[in-house]
Amino acid sequence: MKYDAIVIGSGLGGLECACILSRNGLRTLVLEKGKQPGGCMQSYMRKGLRYDTGFHYVGGLGEGQSLHPAFRYLGLLDLPWHRLDEHFDRVTVGGRTYPFAEGFDSFARTLASHFPGERHALERYAQLLSNVERTDPVKLLETGAYAYLKETFRNPLLTNVLGGASLKMELRRESLPLFTFLHGNSSFIESSWRLKGDSSLIVRSLSDSIRRQGGEIICGAEVEELIEKEGKIVRAVCTDGNVYEGDIFISDVHPAVTSSWVKRSGKMKPVFRSRMARLENTFGMCTVSLRIKSGTLPYFNWNHYVYRKPNVWSFCAEDGPVGGVLVSCRVPEDGNGYTDQVDLLTPMRWEQCRKWEKTCVGNRGEDYRQMKERMADQCVALAEEVIPGLGGRVAERYISTPLTYRDYLAAPEGSAYGTRKDFRNPLLTMLSPRTPVPNLLLTGQSVVLHGLHGVTMTAFLTCAEILGKEEIKRILKD
Amino acid sequence: MTREEIVEKVNALLSEEFEVEQEGIEPEANVKETLSLDSLSLVDLVAIIQQTYKIKIPIADLREIKTFNNLYDYIESHLPA
Repeated sequence: MKYDAIVIGSGLGGLECACILSRNGLRTLVLEKGKQPGGCMQSYMRKGLRYDTGFHYVGGLGEGQSLHPAFRYLGLLDLPWHRLDEHFDRVTVGGRTYPFAEGFDSFARTLASHFPGERHALERYAQLLSNVERTDPVKLLETGAYAYLKETFRNPLLTNVLGGASLKMELRRESLPLFTFLHGNSSFIESSWRLKGDSSLIVRSLSDSIRRQGGEIICGAEVEELIEKEGKIVRAVCTDGNVYEGDIFISDVHPAVTSSWVKRSGKMKPVFRSRMARLENTFGMCTVSLRIKSGTLPYFNWNHYVYRKPNVWSFCAEDGPVGGVLVSCRVPEDGNGYTDQVDLLTPMRWEQCRKWEKTCVGNRGEDYRQMKERMADQCVALAEEVIPGLGGRVAERYISTPLTYRDYLAAPEGSAYGTRKDFRNPLLTMLSPRTPVPNLLLTGQSVVLHGLHGVTMTAFLTCAEILGKEEIKRILKD
Repeated sequence: MTREEIVEKVNALLSEEFEVEQEGIEPEANVKETLSLDSLSLVDLVAIIQQTYKIKIPIADLREIKTFNNLYDYIESHLPA
């Protein structure tokens, strides 16, 4: 049996590619090494509640907005999306809270009421955000996000506030391109949404679509080699000995791992493999998932970003207590007005995990457990700046680190957002979906953009290599 | 580093990384043709030069590099002191 397309890895990008291709009549197979599909969109069950791993909120789902056509095509608009409040993100720096408002004009106006001297600069910034999809990407890729904000705004506090809702990307002033920063903010300002339920709803919806369209998903299938013949990949060999033949291969796995699978090739030269292996990875996240005592915490329909000091752009590189935290909560499903689950997220560098790099899940020792508990305590303490008494309302807590990501998702160094894009070197760090082997393509967060929005747009870009750019344009016409 | 050393090292490096015979790397031969470079693998060339010599080649300069002699010249004139 030969497939038209074989997708390796069932993260969001892999499932979306499989959904697009199977809908276009290609006989599609998804190979997943884990027990269940979903990658960062998986959730896990503890004492009757499901906890998310990588998903918290998404932007641009409203009619006429940036993600609407793609999600409509993928069948994801039918999920129970819940729109966040007008002030969807609230950034607390130095004890004061600044709201991010929905809609580009409101966004600028609201912040201008806190920074009256920056009104015109805020309007220009909002204009740039609203036009990001129509702006020359090369220029945005070659500009640093931090440098841009520093030049545009006189008040350094505003530079911190504007970066404040960007814990959902690698907030690192030395490398973050303006391209990544604007794309990562723009769609949320259009409109922001949570799911009423956990992210496995997204996985289930895409998996059902793939199967309905004649595609297959096989779990427990870990690829170890891609065999090339006459300049094309012809089959994927799995560790269990199974072999799958296909015409086109798409990898939703880290590019360094992907290129290591092509062991003998006339097309993929050592220089490409070593370039992929040398790509730097973005930092990982420590996630503290809290089960809240029933009926003790009223649901809040926005996200909090809380910083200990006005060092939003540098705290992640500094040692010491947790310096910034994203506080998100789950939409109540029974409509009682109280939330049962709160997630706290903070960046965590691989150096902080290196001590345990040789360990595996469930077997990392007492010092690892203590480190996690200490980080969780610090996250809770910081979150208490905006939710006083949070710690006293916690019934259970579950903590994951970049080590967890690495072991479940084959993400080198437990990277949360894939390979690092660097405005000082966009040519080398911004990857194309193409590889030197013409029928081996890449997708997922290391290619072009990350996040739900970025990965989805990248999936369409990858599929454009197969179906043609015109066809993808037609599909995405709202 | 002398010109001869640069030529020797670059040829050995490119021969290994791009899997081409060293004999095919003539000073006046075309870089793109000899190494079978397309727009994608051109990036690999930039990466390997940057990694080896700490020289960043901007896209505009890349267009000027046609022969191996051009490449040696570029490396020689941009080597960090």
